[in-house]
Amino acid sequence: MQDKAASGTLAPEEPVLDIQHLTVHYVLEEETVEAVNDISIRLEKGRILGLVGETGAGKTSTALAALNLIPDPPGVIRSGSVKVCGRDMLRMSQQELEQIRGRDVSMIFQDPMTSLNPVFTVGEQIAESIRLHTDCTASEAMERAGDMLELVGIPRERAGEYPHQFSGGMKQRVVIAIALACSPKVLLADEPTTALDVTIQAQVLDMMIALKEKLDTAMIFITHDLGVVAEICDEVAVMYAGRVIERGTLDDVFNHTKHPYTEGLFNSLPDIQDRTAALRPIPGLMPDPTRLPKGCAFAPRCPYASPACIETVQTERAFSETHTVMCSAYEDPAFHIRREEV
Amino acid sequence: MGKYIVKRVIMLIPVIIGVSLLIFIMLDLAPGTVLDQIANDYTPEQLAALEHELGYDRSVFYRYGMYMWDLLHGDLGTSYIYKAEVWDLYMQRLPATLLLAGASVLVSIVLSIPLGILAATKHGSLTDNASMVAALLGLSMPNFWLGLMLIIVFSLNLGWLPSSGFKDGFRSLILPAITIGTGLMATLTRTTRSSMLDVIRSDYLRTARAKGVPEKTVIRKHALKNAMIPIITVIGTQMGRTLGGSVVTENVFSWPGVGRLTIDAVKQRDTIMVTGCIIMSVIMISLIQLLVDITYAFVDPRLKSQYASGGGKRKLARAAGGGQT
Repeated sequence: MQDKAASGTLAPEEPVLDIQHLTVHYVLEEETVEAVNDISIRLEKGRILGLVGETGAGKTSTALAALNLIPDPPGVIRSGSVKVCGRDMLRMSQQELEQIRGRDVSMIFQDPMTSLNPVFTVGEQIAESIRLHTDCTASEAMERAGDMLELVGIPRERAGEYPHQFSGGMKQRVVIAIALACSPKVLLADEPTTALDVTIQAQVLDMMIALKEKLDTAMIFITHDLGVVAEICDEVAVMYAGRVIERGTLDDVFNHTKHPYTEGLFNSLPDIQDRTAALRPIPGLMPDPTRLPKGCAFAPRCPYASPACIETVQTERAFSETHTVMCSAYEDPAFHIRREEV
Repeated sequence: MGKYIVKRVIMLIPVIIGVSLLIFIMLDLAPGTVLDQIANDYTPEQLAALEHELGYDRSVFYRYGMYMWDLLHGDLGTSYIYKAEVWDLYMQRLPATLLLAGASVLVSIVLSIPLGILAATKHGSLTDNASMVAALLGLSMPNFWLGLMLIIVFSLNLGWLPSSGFKDGFRSLILPAITIGTGLMATLTRTTRSSMLDVIRSDYLRTARAKGVPEKTVIRKHALKNAMIPIITVIGTQMGRTLGGSVVTENVFSWPGVGRLTIDAVKQRDTIMVTGCIIMSVIMISLIQLLVDITYAFVDPRLKSQYASGGGKRKLARAAGGGQT
């Protein structure tokens, strides 16, 4: 890799991505949407973190903030820091940001239909990133763009075609190729497989695992597909109403579930043994992010909630070195959820 | 693409037939004929002979038939008043109109596209509001009034620039070009701004920023090329309109262009001359439109593939142009 500038040096144990106390609000004329509230995420080299949660939980805002790409206005980053390879993205000059984006940290966007520029060829769009961040000629960059296309399973001859000539799944793979073009150290993948059919989905997941193994890329994998999380993630963070309410290793969260919301997510999965069983969704809706309660945002839907839950400000409670949960019910040492230790 | 161009040229034929018929009928309905205008130059006997020769003793449709027969042979006819070929007269006046149209369109493109982009990128700021107020002002000022005001201020009071004619070269071009250019600039600034605003929040610009593309390049390359279609449409429409001769402005500044030629011919009931001028304008406007449609294909690859596949694409091209044509 002939990077134009050396990226920040890093002590071996330091995380490549370190988000601390991040708060993102969208300030509209009449109301303020509290999208992300005091989130902290640490990610080490070569690890994949699954960020799960329902629509509107603040997953995408977290990822955009990590690139300092929150649309402003109306987005405001109220507090926090986002360190990529030890350098704070939120306190950087525009020029430094442009250097680090796409080279050290890049993002796979959710909607492949609108994420590609319709008036440039896919080859040009991949090569642009390569040209910006490495010392190479236009033809070398196009050559490498062709390599990237092959990596995502598109014949390199199609580099000269425009996005409208590709199917949705292929567009998604082009978006992935753009994000991977400069072998970033941190990759934010925002539902990269949602638009793909299952066969391609498996290919893309394999590709991302291979990438992780080859380049030691750290990834945040945003999804609401718990199956995908089980397949590729090392760690899991569950988000609800802009907060991480449970986090831990894959084993912690999947086999030693602590938070009632996480339990609800698992319960709402279809039962493979009993195909006739009715689905058990979590009743109710996520609270309006413009009017979040002072205490636990999940309390109104929580089967274990006591009146105190809505008032009590939630704090993180560690169950092991890796496993933390934000639920005040555990103040009672006898409390446990039904699914625990399945 | 070749097939497409041929199709467009063929489509001109019904337009020319319709427009010329309309002019013949309208000028026939108006009181008086060209014969009243030139009556003093002839003896009554000569006049009667001329009436017969020009077909004024027969119906308007007979005269129209005569005209179309000549046109079919590529002859635009002879002006009754000037007693010269319409084609020659038109071509004498065309350079002045081309110069005026070219100058005003060029100046307004150079000024209003950057201004529109600035207004869009600083959406809601003082710059944005100020330029929109200026654009509204530019749109609301009628050409004849603006032209007269400019003459009063810059020619009569300050004496900086000539008030009329063509003799002082570049200096005489300035005031009429400003007069025409003001309205055009206003339209173009507003179009650029709204078109850029549509594009500026799009997902693919976010993708570009996430790649680390510098903000200037994001706007100038990624956004502008996508915002171009409506802008080109407006430029084409305005260019076509100006080429047809800006009747009002040319009259205010005594500019020797085709607009004035046309309006003089109307006053003198010179049906052949009027029809010839209008037909030439129709051809000019169609040529510009064709040029605009071809430019679309270079700007937007989606339209290019539609032209290539043949059949019914015009509607799509128009739809993409925001229906402003």
